[in-house]
Amino acid sequence: MIKVENLRKEFKKTIKEPGLKGSFKSLFRPKSEKVVAVNDISFDVPKGEILGFIGPNGAGKSTVIKMLTGILTPTSGRCTINGKNPTVNRKSYVKEIGVVFGQRTQLWWDLPLRETYGVLKEIYEVPEDSFKKRMAFLNEVLELDSFITSPVRTLSLGQRMRADIAASMLHSPKVLFLDEPTIGLDVVVKDNIRSAIEQINRQEQTTVILTTHDLADIELLSDRIVMIDKGSKVFDGSVSSLKDKYGQIREMKFETDSKNASERLGYAEKFGFGEDDLSVEQEGALVTVRFNSSVAPISDVLGYTLQRVNVSDINVKDADIEEIIRRLYKQGVEE
Amino acid sequence: MKRKLKLYLPFINAGMQETATYRVNFIFFLLGEALACAVSFFIWNAVYNSGGENEINGFSFEQMVVYIVLMFLTNGIIGSDASWSVGEEVRDGTIAMRLLKPVSYNSTFLFQEFGNKVLTEIVLMVPLLVIAELVRWLISGAVAFSVVRFLIYLLSCTAAYLINFFFNICFGFLAFVIKYLWGANMMKNCVVGFLSGAIIPLAFLPAGLRTVILLLPFASLNYTPVMIYMGMYSGIETLWYLGLQLFWMIAFWGLSKLLWRLSVKRLCVQGG
Repeated sequence: MIKVENLRKEFKKTIKEPGLKGSFKSLFRPKSEKVVAVNDISFDVPKGEILGFIGPNGAGKSTVIKMLTGILTPTSGRCTINGKNPTVNRKSYVKEIGVVFGQRTQLWWDLPLRETYGVLKEIYEVPEDSFKKRMAFLNEVLELDSFITSPVRTLSLGQRMRADIAASMLHSPKVLFLDEPTIGLDVVVKDNIRSAIEQINRQEQTTVILTTHDLADIELLSDRIVMIDKGSKVFDGSVSSLKDKYGQIREMKFETDSKNASERLGYAEKFGFGEDDLSVEQEGALVTVRFNSSVAPISDVLGYTLQRVNVSDINVKDADIEEIIRRLYKQGVEE
Repeated sequence: MKRKLKLYLPFINAGMQETATYRVNFIFFLLGEALACAVSFFIWNAVYNSGGENEINGFSFEQMVVYIVLMFLTNGIIGSDASWSVGEEVRDGTIAMRLLKPVSYNSTFLFQEFGNKVLTEIVLMVPLLVIAELVRWLISGAVAFSVVRFLIYLLSCTAAYLINFFFNICFGFLAFVIKYLWGANMMKNCVVGFLSGAIIPLAFLPAGLRTVILLLPFASLNYTPVMIYMGMYSGIETLWYLGLQLFWMIAFWGLSKLLWRLSVKRLCVQGG
């Protein structure tokens, strides 16, 4: 369905030296340097898959999406979607895809929302009856009814986002690109949007590429994760394989009456944890210990803790995807 | 053709609604233009009074007044903001959203702008033409309105608008290179204003310079339709200038297609 091969994008970036003098200099003799935003990324997405495309800010996610949607031309490498090259046959290609950029809108700013859908219906040549069916479905899942007659510029962020998602799904696209579709939204709206994505995917086998910083989106929707950092792919696999591979960090919380528990316990010396394998924090009586369970088994750490200090309440949490990603973003990934 | 029309009709409609939304803005714009028109009138009034001659370079005072009013009207009809719209979309990155739709980039602008102006121009045209004719009648005592000339004027205006539109699209693509068009736009408006006869009639320029300027595309913008309406051109001259307009229209249409192809390759979407 989607085939990405050795995709690469370079930008020329003008460098301005600081201060007024620098501004003048760059006005007359601009210096520029080459920035590699996306470096040799390859992956395939089969039909009907929801792919979570994640990475820290500035990793190059949006650039990849822009190349896949045909807005940017790759410096080198190829991407084909349904056998089509996005930059070659723009008009026929974009008919088959739906796109939402969370920070922009494709809706007509000055028109009532309903009119925008009318325009889209003509542009995508959606027949009348399937348009009606589609609108009824989207109305139900995304609850558009209450604001469908208001001009787009008067909508709240949550309303606008729901409207944008609906607009991207109106013409039953084969592939849906969602670039941060839940950015800045409340829990209820997020749920609405997730359920719309899920239903479309299930009913029509729509392939979905989803970038987000909300890992709940990924856990609830994605079959597979591709993670990129500094323009390169660093992980490609299912959510559970991510947990298996990087999820050895466990979190143990307990309450104790001893004031300097971390010193008394001395986990690092006892079990030989490295610097990245362990963190201990104490806040009043509550101690939080994060440790790498592949260095020392949970039972050993637990037993040792109970032995050394007086513990009143203790629990150990399972690997949490958010914790994994946090660690990966912070340290980068060593393959 | 019918399919195409159906496809772009919503853009006309959207353009009309946009104008309706910002009607106060439009009224202020009109007031500004009318003021400029009045200033122009008083300057020429002073020129004709101090010269003591009835005719300067083939223009009587009465014709000069008609010229000013018609320039005002024609400017409105053929004016195009396309370079600004393209430039702004490049600057803030919304061009991306337009690229994601299966429609021709240039055509969406064309039809949207057509929608923007169709209502207002119709509203404007009648009173302005009445004023122009009234002035002519008051000063010279004869009615000179000709239906045929009026229809040729409309035809010529259409050609002029398309030239202006495609020229502006080409100019707007500059934004891909220089990122922000405001300064370049100011310069362009000044140069075009002079070369198109919107500031002074091209007939007032020295003969050699005039011959060259009349061949340039800018003279095809305001000057040709106005001169046709005023009956300053003979039949053959009219045909010649209409032909010239057609030539420039095709030239800029082709150039805009070419530039679009080149620009989109080096497009870099700014922000997000």
